[in-house]
Amino acid sequence: MQIAARPATGGTILDITGDIDLAHSPAMRKALLQEIREKKTPKVFLNLEKVRYIDSSGIASLVEGLKASRDQGSRLILYGLSKTVREVMELSRLQKIFEIHDSEAQALAS
Amino acid sequence: MEFFGKIGSSVEGGLAYVGALTSLAGRAAYFTFIGPFQGKPLRFQRAVSQAMEAGVRALPILSLITFFIGLILALQAAYELRRFGAISFVASAVALSMTRELGPLITAVIVIGRSGSAFAAELGTMRVSEEIDALETMAINPVSFLVAPKFIAMILMLPCLTIWANFMGILGGSLFGVAQADFTFPRYIIASLDALFMRDVVTGLIKSFMFGVTITAVGCLEGLNTTGGAEQVGRSTTRAVVMSIFLVILVDLVFTMLFYFLGEH
Amino acid sequence: MAPSVENLGVDESFDGPMISLRDLRVSYTGREILHGINFDVQRGETLVILGGSGSGKSTLLRTLVGLEKPTSGQVWIRGKNFSAISEVERDEIRKRLGMSFQGGALFGSMTVGENVALPLQEHTKLEPTTVEIMVRLKLDQVGLSGFEDFLPSQLSGGMKKRAAVARALAMDPEILFFDEPSAGLDPIIAAGIDQLILELKKAFHMTIIVVTHELASAFLIADRMVLINKGDVVALGTTEEMKTSKHPRVRQFLDRIPEPAVAQELDYLQMLTEPSSKSGEGRQGKSR
Ligand SMILES: Nc1ncnc2c1ncn2[C@@H]1O[C@H](COP(=O)(O)OP(=O)(O)OP(=O)(O)O)[C@@H](O)[C@H]1O
Ligand SMILES: [Mg+2]
Repeated sequence: MQIAARPATGGTILDITGDIDLAHSPAMRKALLQEIREKKTPKVFLNLEKVRYIDSSGIASLVEGLKASRDQGSRLILYGLSKTVREVMELSRLQKIFEIHDSEAQALAS
Repeated sequence: MEFFGKIGSSVEGGLAYVGALTSLAGRAAYFTFIGPFQGKPLRFQRAVSQAMEAGVRALPILSLITFFIGLILALQAAYELRRFGAISFVASAVALSMTRELGPLITAVIVIGRSGSAFAAELGTMRVSEEIDALETMAINPVSFLVAPKFIAMILMLPCLTIWANFMGILGGSLFGVAQADFTFPRYIIASLDALFMRDVVTGLIKSFMFGVTITAVGCLEGLNTTGGAEQVGRSTTRAVVMSIFLVILVDLVFTMLFYFLGEH
Repeated sequence: MAPSVENLGVDESFDGPMISLRDLRVSYTGREILHGINFDVQRGETLVILGGSGSGKSTLLRTLVGLEKPTSGQVWIRGKNFSAISEVERDEIRKRLGMSFQGGALFGSMTVGENVALPLQEHTKLEPTTVEIMVRLKLDQVGLSGFEDFLPSQLSGGMKKRAAVARALAMDPEILFFDEPSAGLDPIIAAGIDQLILELKKAFHMTIIVVTHELASAFLIADRMVLINKGDVVALGTTEEMKTSKHPRVRQFLDRIPEPAVAQELDYLQMLTEPSSKSGEGRQGKSR
């Protein structure tokens, strides 16, 4: 799994490539929390277009990120979820709790 | 003929049992000393909580019993010593028999009753309720997870408890010394310490270390070997206690003989 | 902690059958329980194991995860012969398996939350806060939200069962083994477990082996079913094939027809009065 950050209007986009699984979710969690807590980015966009698979540890890390952003008063926005990722979200009944968009354009416009 | 055959097979059974104990202790030692260097976690936290249970919680009862034992030793020794007008030797008699023999032994017996039996009951219950199987299916080694922390706790705590037991025994003896043998308390303690050589203390501690290994190995082996249902857990516990007492005495005999012959030179 | 954490994620590179049994025979103390079982389970498939009480279903599951050693034959899991590999290799495979035991097998000295967290703490480098959220997600999936701090002894039978299911799910395993997950659960919660199994299959593409006596549930979740009778596979097929099967044992099982009273009066009298043979063998296999 790789994470790359790039600036966007009003915040930062984190592009994630690869699987977010038990071995890799700690890295994603760290990057996410750093962006939210330390850099205090007002809008963090998480680009999941190139994520094939996410497991419960990945979901739990996203939940931690969401909680941190709520505490900061900032926003965490997900977009580009594949069918599999969406299904895992639904399994955990979290699809309504996260702010989820289909494409980058929609996410940035929100 | 049949009689010798029976002896033969029970000796064989005994050796197999000791073999199983050694193998269990060996595997626990592997997870304690070698495992951590191969990335297998040493369960320090679990060892600490076992040490609290096996060691610290045993202190009140151990103190009381060894205090009484010290007092009894003083009374018994004085009974003989005063006929020779040598009652002032009571301090050294108590100090020597406590540190060399009774301190380690009484400590071991109390620990068998409190912890050896508890190990067998705990692991036996886990065995019959498939908890050990559950650990295995999770790829968690039961020896590493359950047995090794107990070994660590016991080989650390037994010598500590023994030192404390020696001290309490001497304290018990001093009660008699001060009341009946014209000692003052400080003089009694000094007389006790004068009678002791480092060797006496160390041999006692070596024994207590071996007792710790024996008690843990027997308790855990009996627990892990439990088959069947809840009633078998009770049986394992009983076996653990009886076997531990027997083997502790045997280990005691072997080491006492060893020290005796080593001391000759 | 464990060095192997790097290869823990999904590994879809393996595309043969996830489980493959070859003439599997298992005995307890000399008495053969399973008499040569053969079947394969593909990735993403849900296989339901049906069979009468004492027919050897739990024994089969225990053998599949390597708790019982086959007397002959082989268990292949993810292309590895389970009884011929090293302990290290076996543990690597076991990290990808989840099993809920018939009796729950929860660790009695740990809370429900600690039970679910244990495999995560042992095998991953996840932060404690992440593990805590995962534990809550899993408990929520089985309807046990808010029971993290309860000890197993403080739970009802059905709640224990569900906690065991949550623990089996902890690592998002590739292969799940459930031994009667919904026995003793009320119909609503049992339906919830069925739903969960379907969702897990959809979301994670999990391979799931379920032992159950609940026929309605079996037909809902299964892709294929296998019927075991006294240690033999008597039928194996898709749910459709099973529904339309003419096999007398299958019909009897699915149509819930009780055993006919076959014993002749004389045999029966003899069976009742025969001096006991102590071996435990016999009674079961006879005249039933
Ligand atoms: N530990 C054991 N020792 C000896 N025999 C056993 C043991 N466990 C099970 N058996 C025997 O194996 C046979 C199969 O048992 P098993 O538990 O696999 O049945 P099952 O199909 O799971 O039954 P149920 O539906 O009642 O759970 C039974 O005849 C039982 O007597
Ligand atoms: Mg069963």
